[in-house]
Amino acid sequence: MKGKRLLVLLSLVAIAALAAGLAAGVGSAGESRANPTGKSYKIFFLPKFIGIGVFTENGKGGKEAGKELGDTVVYNGPTEPVGAKQVPFIESAVRQGFDAIVISAPDANAVAPALLRARARGVKVVSYDGDVRPDAREIFVSPPLASDIGAFQVEWLGSQIGYKGEFAILSATPTAANQNTWIKWMKVALKKPKYRNMKLVKIAYGNDKPVDSARETQALLQAYPNLKGIIAPTTVGISAAAQVLSQEGACGKVALTGLGLPNEMRKFVKKGCARKFGLWNERDFGYLAVYVAHHVLDGTITGKIGETFKAGRLGTRQVVNCAGVKPCVVLGKPLVFTPQNIDKFNF
Amino acid sequence: MTSRQLLGRLLGRWETLLLVAIVGVGAWSATLSPFFLHRANLLDLVTPYVFIGLIAFGLAFVVIAGEIDISVVSTLAVSVVSFAQLVQAGVNVWLAALAGLGVATALGLGNGLLVGVLNLPSLAVTLGTLAAYQGLAFVILSGEGVSSFPAGYLRVGGGYIGNELPIPLLVLLGLAVVLGLLLHATRFGRYVFTIGANREAARFSGVPVARVRVTVFCLSGLMAGIAGVFVYVGYFGSARADAGQGQLLDVVTAVVLGGVDIFGGVGSIAGVLLALVLVAELRNGMQLANLPGDLQNIVIGGLLLAAIVSGNLIRAAQAGGLRIPGLGLRRKEVIAADAEAGVPVNPTVETRQGG
Amino acid sequence: MTGRRRVTPHGLAAALRLRETGIVIALAAVCVFFSIRATNFLTLDNWQDIAKEVAIVVAVGVGETMVVLTRNIDLSVGSMVGLTAYLTADTLAQHNGAPLALIALLAVGVGIGLGLVNGLLVAVARIPAIIATLATLAIYRGIAFEVTGGQRIAAFQLPDRFLELAASKPAGLPTLAWIALGVALAGGVALRLAPWGRDLYAIGSNPEAARLAGIPARRRVIAAFVVSGALSGLGGFMWAARFPTVDAVAATDFELAVITAVVIGGVNVFGGSGTVLGAVLGAVLVATIANGFTLLRLSEFWKIFFNGLAIVVAVTIDALVTQRLQEALRRRRAEVLAARHQEAEA
Repeated sequence: MKGKRLLVLLSLVAIAALAAGLAAGVGSAGESRANPTGKSYKIFFLPKFIGIGVFTENGKGGKEAGKELGDTVVYNGPTEPVGAKQVPFIESAVRQGFDAIVISAPDANAVAPALLRARARGVKVVSYDGDVRPDAREIFVSPPLASDIGAFQVEWLGSQIGYKGEFAILSATPTAANQNTWIKWMKVALKKPKYRNMKLVKIAYGNDKPVDSARETQALLQAYPNLKGIIAPTTVGISAAAQVLSQEGACGKVALTGLGLPNEMRKFVKKGCARKFGLWNERDFGYLAVYVAHHVLDGTITGKIGETFKAGRLGTRQVVNCAGVKPCVVLGKPLVFTPQNIDKFNF
Repeated sequence: MTSRQLLGRLLGRWETLLLVAIVGVGAWSATLSPFFLHRANLLDLVTPYVFIGLIAFGLAFVVIAGEIDISVVSTLAVSVVSFAQLVQAGVNVWLAALAGLGVATALGLGNGLLVGVLNLPSLAVTLGTLAAYQGLAFVILSGEGVSSFPAGYLRVGGGYIGNELPIPLLVLLGLAVVLGLLLHATRFGRYVFTIGANREAARFSGVPVARVRVTVFCLSGLMAGIAGVFVYVGYFGSARADAGQGQLLDVVTAVVLGGVDIFGGVGSIAGVLLALVLVAELRNGMQLANLPGDLQNIVIGGLLLAAIVSGNLIRAAQAGGLRIPGLGLRRKEVIAADAEAGVPVNPTVETRQGG
Repeated sequence: MTGRRRVTPHGLAAALRLRETGIVIALAAVCVFFSIRATNFLTLDNWQDIAKEVAIVVAVGVGETMVVLTRNIDLSVGSMVGLTAYLTADTLAQHNGAPLALIALLAVGVGIGLGLVNGLLVAVARIPAIIATLATLAIYRGIAFEVTGGQRIAAFQLPDRFLELAASKPAGLPTLAWIALGVALAGGVALRLAPWGRDLYAIGSNPEAARLAGIPARRRVIAAFVVSGALSGLGGFMWAARFPTVDAVAATDFELAVITAVVIGGVNVFGGSGTVLGAVLGAVLVATIANGFTLLRLSEFWKIFFNGLAIVVAVTIDALVTQRLQEALRRRRAEVLAARHQEAEA
């Protein structure tokens, strides 16, 4: 009996050791590729967190760009969107001698001291998606302009509800900088005479979690019986909201728009739960961010407004001032998905 | 006690095992990455986790007293945002920090009164205050937070001496010594252990049970405050209402891996400190080798299991006269010592060895 | 605590009935408050929402209750739900025509495997449950990350009849809630009537005494973890139906919701006392509070605060009522005893 227990214990230890060894093996597999035409760089790609679709796509695009440029791109990060958990990854990238860090930050400030230390040691920092404190990076790569993202969503909703009636916003977390910026631009857009009959009654927060987003959506339906529409500028929020509308049989009665992934929304678009929403190509987004990092490293981009550079298959791009955020590079106008075109997209 | 007995006892201690693991993981990390053994890296690898360690120190007191405080991460958030609001309002930064600590202690007192005086179950209470304090943090400061603090202030929690020696590391070690003394060398500390081991017995032997239980919650709040106001703000330069979110499991890991018994009565500050170092070291090594974040979590989980299992093995081996091969050398002495103490030596031990 | 009460079976039954009184009163207070303050709180629609909201928590909470009764805890339920939710969705995406019952069994089967690992780690390798399941929380979540490879399954890949599970409301109750109700009834009956169910209480009340009484403690603890794993698997199946965009982070932090429900429901974390009914009421209470405050047109931030505060208040009401009732019971029992000794003192 005792011997048997010991055996089990030992085998458990062995399994743990094996797992560790396995992990070590996986880790040592690096990839590098020489570029005959230019210098090759090591770029660390740090998303808000790993494991969800959009960041995986960003990472794939980043690696694709790295391959074309002959750069080594390592995609890694924490498993939760927590700024404090990004910091050890920044420190580690610096110690390993990476030339640049491409980062999307859930907390613009929490990573700033670490990024400043990195820059002091010559590492270039490019932020994308979730910007960091301006003094902690060289340049920001924006999805479509924040003002566009805000205004477009108001228009997408307005066109569905005849520019009239109460609506709510289902956001992610109250601390999400990009969400807050977009909401700010929505409010700016709402001042236009065209939208004067649309009334924003509530901003709810679903914390980018399906459970919370679903509960908030249900509550919106209960608490605002006259609700005509919901804008959810988050992929998690819009998909949970669509699910609730479909389960409650409220599709058509309450219009839904926002930012969503075509694959996650396809079913609900066909059911008529969301007839118009948008997003951008997440793979291109990561691709562009790595191109920007490369050109910051080779000196093509110094941060002056008006500089141009070549971004592979995305063509020639320009450094601009994104409504006060500068220097900045813009990915492009948002893609708009409708029942007619949704099947053309697969991401 | 002979030196050999002392050695035997030391070998059986949890802290010793953690030390061995730290050395082992260090060796493994050195093979994983050539950057691991750089002095700057070794000095800096605990820094991002110092605030977790400080919370864990406070929580250790609560757990040793037989309770739990889940709300610590929210307490940190409230203290951080209160501090930030005061600084923004123009209050002297050090006074604001002091006020932040006061707020944190008051929140701990709130938990303490509910648990220690009203005798409510601490897990239920602090699950509630986890949410309530989190909400309070958002009420005090919503949005994207504050990041402009005087540089001199930030040095306490985020500065470096000579560009290499992190000041927060010194804060961690200093507080470890202070709290270690408080827990292991004062009457209060002895009370904490007594209550955790058996609350009824403690009451009968004249321990001021209610007062001590309230005090450990205050201490836990205060430590969350120190972790927040000085180290979190200092090192991350950010103060917003979601500070500390997502860190609860890391705090609990440091406490339980540190050998603190979740049912109370057993634990040490040194253990918690070593557990923190071990986890930090492991994460650092794996990060330098660019292991994906999720694999890092698997390895940490495996380490938790392996640590406890090997602890069990050593204890079982000691009880049976040290059967495991690595420690076989000392077997005779221990048996001799046991014989001295009047413990009958089990002859079957011999035949089982190595099998 | 319960060890003493268990001495007389009659007292046990009385105490069990009493144990839920506090939480029922707390729940009633919450309902009265919200029906006065919140519009649409007392509508059928809203209670269907609440039922759907608690369904998965209840299903998983029944297993958690059994584990907690044995003086252990299962922190890995969120990771098990997430992993099985992904496996469910992935399998259905690849085999659109597969019978749902088979898929559910598969999810439960995977859950049993994961639960068995937990049980063995705790009962055989003698790792304290909180550490063992803290570790498997990380490991199972890590496996989910590896399995998904950062990808997700989306609703359009899943068959309609599966998604219908979350939308349909036979006899006015959402299907998911029917499933949860079935699980709760089965769990409650098992704990009350099955011999092994009573063993769980005995193990939690006094492990030493249970061993001396010949209860196979190790096997029972493993069984409790297996049940918790199995129901987490079922929870994963339900999760995928309700939130059909499933990725590696599905059900993160869900263990906190489950443990909150169980603990608020009066299941003692030091083992030995608590019921499935309590856990169900705990889940309903927490969901009702969250629902009510969302319906109140309150600032988002105050909402989070009051939500937590209401939990503390509910716990306090529950504890005070329970203490009172127990005191009254004890006094009555003492009076009866005294009366037997001396008829003059009544």
